[in-house]
Amino acid sequence: MNREKFLARVREATIAGRAHRVHIDPTLPASVGYVGGGADLVESLATEINAVGGSATVVEDLDAARDQLLDLLALYQPKSALCWRHPLLDRLDLNSILAEQRVAQLDYESLSLIPSIAQREKMVAADIGITSVSYAVAETGSLVVTSQPGQERLASLLPPVHIAIVERSQIVPDLFDMFAILGRQIETGLPTNLAFITGPSKTGDIELTLITGVHGPGKWHVIVIR
Amino acid sequence: MTADYARHEHHEFLQATELAMADVGLQGALSNLGTTLGQRNKVAFAILPESGLLREKARSIKDEALADLETHIRTLESSVQSRGGTVHFAEDGADACQIITGILRQAGATRVVKSKSMTTEEIHLNPALEEAGFEVFETDFGEYIIQVAGQRPSHLVAPAMHLRVGDVAKILSPEAGETLPDDGPVLANFARRRLRTAFATADAGITGANFAIAETGTIVLVENEGNIRLSTALPRIHIAIVGIEKVIPKLADLPVFLKVLARAATGQKISVYTSLITGARKPDELDGPEEFHLVLLDNGRTRILGSPLRESLFCIRCGACLNACPIYRNVGGHAYGGVYAGPIGAVLTPLYDGLAANKHLPHASSLCGACQAACPVKIAIPEMLIELREQLHHEPGELGRIEALAYRVWARAMRSPRAYRLATWLATRTAGRIWPKRWIHRLPGGLSGWTNTRDFPAPARQRFRDWWENEGKDGHA
Repeated sequence: MNREKFLARVREATIAGRAHRVHIDPTLPASVGYVGGGADLVESLATEINAVGGSATVVEDLDAARDQLLDLLALYQPKSALCWRHPLLDRLDLNSILAEQRVAQLDYESLSLIPSIAQREKMVAADIGITSVSYAVAETGSLVVTSQPGQERLASLLPPVHIAIVERSQIVPDLFDMFAILGRQIETGLPTNLAFITGPSKTGDIELTLITGVHGPGKWHVIVIR
Repeated sequence: MTADYARHEHHEFLQATELAMADVGLQGALSNLGTTLGQRNKVAFAILPESGLLREKARSIKDEALADLETHIRTLESSVQSRGGTVHFAEDGADACQIITGILRQAGATRVVKSKSMTTEEIHLNPALEEAGFEVFETDFGEYIIQVAGQRPSHLVAPAMHLRVGDVAKILSPEAGETLPDDGPVLANFARRRLRTAFATADAGITGANFAIAETGTIVLVENEGNIRLSTALPRIHIAIVGIEKVIPKLADLPVFLKVLARAATGQKISVYTSLITGARKPDELDGPEEFHLVLLDNGRTRILGSPLRESLFCIRCGACLNACPIYRNVGGHAYGGVYAGPIGAVLTPLYDGLAANKHLPHASSLCGACQAACPVKIAIPEMLIELREQLHHEPGELGRIEALAYRVWARAMRSPRAYRLATWLATRTAGRIWPKRWIHRLPGGLSGWTNTRDFPAPARQRFRDWWENEGKDGHA
């Protein structure tokens, strides 16, 4: 349809509709609905993650996180892992861990060298996804992942198991705090894709009964470093 | 018979409700609703501090957004364009379908994956795409089931909730080429495997949107399964079809809605996946669509925006009013006979699809108010239904001759105190004295329409004013 005609119709209706505005108390405080992240953000985040069907482990340092990751690799025995490139994963020395465990590492460097059809096939076949996060929200137990080269959307989505490594400095208390941070990024441009992940993939489509892992990962592990 | 109204719109409402009430499978499926989703919603709001005020805030943002909608749409358009996306304007459903098939043809697409979108149901996109030769896969688990069954969704957020696990196994078994067991996780796993192939080979992903943020050009999609994330990560084209009422002005408005939406829908604090999509992928990213199209849909929304029913555009499609409604909980979604079911559907369907074709819907409510109490944006649904009932009475040919005459006599009597006094005197001294009981169970001839489904109160033996004069005022009562 003609854009001008469409907008003209919206304009007319917008103006006519002002006669039917609802009367709302204008004194609503800005902080309404703020929940916060409690006294200990790490603890709150872990509690919420467990409450939504994820599995959170709180560890003291990078060494303990490494041990935890090794345990998970032993549990799932993956052949290949779809991984982010991220400073926290570098500090963890993820490359060496995967090499030692003979897990094929699929990441930006290895994937961008091969043709896109082969790339797609390898990503779809990955057994496990390993990422960090851009942020985490203690209030809801959400991990915030943003897309950029090296932080692929599919790493937290395609494999049946997703393992995320989070550290304290990445955690914000409340959704409102999260959006205040994102608001300051508008000028420089929001990422093309930003996702809040809060739990393993779920459906209640048959008789309202919970089933996990219907499209996204059914197993969701989060290692939180203090 | 059941399957018939599960497939088609615009059927005889009372007949459909009777079939629904007699359908043992459906009643079994519906019996869970109040104690699960309906209950979780109440608990979730009870434990959120100031949830009443937060819902008020969500409501005020919608009201503000609509009061300047033209400006916000223009801002949205330029924000989307500045991120390399294309914006299309669709006047109605046919227009939208044409635009979408055009985009797909131009891109040389053949296979499409879709996420659950009531807007695409509203414009009947699937038949249009199939007619145009595209292969379409619904990817939400519930939508996939009903697509295979050839049915319509019966609930805003749980489209296959009218089916029991045995029905689903029967529906999916021919697809699997083997007999699938009556086991939810096995059936879900079959759908996961089947649809993975579709995701990996689709050219385009078509989604709706829960919100569109004008300030940033961001499309917001809320889900629990992950099929929306897959639909917007794997195919090379992403098309979002969005009703103009979904536009919110600022990014900072979004958390208010995120905090109330999932609580209202399922009792979750936030849904499993919330995607904020701002344009197509950047050139050096490995995944995500290369093209992004936003189709803005009017389809009657401007007509509503300028009317007393404007408030119905606040709806964020959570389904809470369906879960709370005593009518929905008895008859399910298909009986309503429109794209949108339940209390809000009884408002929206006549508005989008025409009042004359859906004249039963404004009456498909007891006006008990449970819907408004459950609504995360506090839409006055009962008032909207009363407004529609009034509009219905102005539709030509709507009233029978006897009913019209009765209303005329009634109106005349109520306007004149003397006529009213005379009429009530007559009624008490005739029907009131002859009729032995307090209720009339059967009225004759053209009046029987009333007593077919409810009793009519018999006139009293004396008027209130006579009783008051004789006994009441001296306190003898």
